Amino acid sequence: MKMRCCFQRSFCSASSSLVPVQLPSPMETHFWYVLPDQVKSVSLLNQYMGLLSPIEKENVLSMPGHQLQKRALLARALVRTTIARYQINGHVDPRSLKFKKNIHGKPEVVWQSEDGWCQPHLHFNISHSSSMIACGVTSNSRIGIDVEEKQRKIKNNILAFARRYFSLHEIEYLSSISDSEVQHQEFIKLWTLKEAYVKALGKGFSAAPFKTFTIHVKTDYKRSFVLAEDLLFEASEIMVESLNDPKSLTSSWQFALLELVGSHYAAICMEKDKSIKVGMKVPVRLTAWKTIPFVEDECVSGTDAVIPIGGLIKL
Amino acid sequence: MASIAGASISITSFSSSLKLTTQTSSIGISSLRSVSLPISGRSFPSLRLRKGASRFRVSCAAKPETLDKVCEIVRNQLALAPDAVVNGESKFVALGADSLDTVEIVMGLEEEFGISVEEETAQSIVSVQDAADLIEKLLEKK
Repeated sequence: MKMRCCFQRSFCSASSSLVPVQLPSPMETHFWYVLPDQVKSVSLLNQYMGLLSPIEKENVLSMPGHQLQKRALLARALVRTTIARYQINGHVDPRSLKFKKNIHGKPEVVWQSEDGWCQPHLHFNISHSSSMIACGVTSNSRIGIDVEEKQRKIKNNILAFARRYFSLHEIEYLSSISDSEVQHQEFIKLWTLKEAYVKALGKGFSAAPFKTFTIHVKTDYKRSFVLAEDLLFEASEIMVESLNDPKSLTSSWQFALLELVGSHYAAICMEKDKSIKVGMKVPVRLTAWKTIPFVEDECVSGTDAVIPIGGLIKL
Repeated sequence: MASIAGASISITSFSSSLKLTTQTSSIGISSLRSVSLPISGRSFPSLRLRKGASRFRVSCAAKPETLDKVCEIVRNQLALAPDAVVNGESKFVALGADSLDTVEIVMGLEEEFGISVEEETAQSIVSVQDAADLIEKLLEKK
């Protein structure tokens, strides 16, 4: 495999060509994505390989087949380069970042504590489909994301699947849709929202099995308008209700649902800022970039590449 | 080669010391009555060897047929190339499965084997072998 024999080459520090970015503000999500089909250069892939820890390299190379290896490699490279951009406390080499998993298996950054460094409250979560890898970043707010191809084939019968895994309300919702294509789309959207919520919780699937919570989507109104320099989209109100524990703070979670590059649904679930009163409707500020790390970054929020289709979103 | 009419089993040649060859046919003799075969009259576990395997595997927890069925369902779900290697050791994640794939695979297994897998247990299935072992366990309980 070409990657394997080339990675011995030494590369000079590549982090100088990563464009630094300010930390997201409260209630803001930064969303970075890379499209594997656009990354073809072998030397670039080798450069990414050079950023990985020995264990990460091993994991990548243990994947069977070039496509899976490339996907795994790009996922790690995206996470490392993205977090390094936030250049907290000076220049951060993507290679130097250390990761750990919390007790439930959710990946987190380990910030080196040197004198004077306070722990940055950067949170991240990644997701990938076969044709997109995405990383969401927030400050001081737990986040979960999920991306899925809109046309993703579901092998099982959708309603049978929903009856097996989704909540009663969600089953009823999907059953009420007569058009099979629309039903398929709504299923995928629901899946990404549920997945994003569980990932944001960061407590593993056993803490919130899919059947134990319902995603409610209220589409009483659908409007978008320009407020000062921002675009505000009120596509729908998305809320999560925990069936086991109705009193639990499920109102502390905010959702955004997007259509990306016409081919993907992406769901973002983030914790509302503690300063926001319960019941107050506050939009999720979103800034999205399409990136090829070290090569180009394109801010795409506000373009056709990122279309809000659910939740309250400010671009 | 001995073929037994009525029981529809064909047994390819093997020596009396049960030296295993790289034949891929599985041998099950539970339905045999009296047949004379060139082996000493002892029963042996059903074993399946894959071509090119450097050692044989005896799966004590899951039957080979179960394992094969799981591999087939996994192949279908993940739309793997015909030459992609899938065996007991294969981890779903390493085959390119995401969480939706894993859930679909579990559902496919539930339908195929008529079992019910709790969500928490389903999430702990990491490899094909895990799935096959769990199926055997659940089938035993029935």
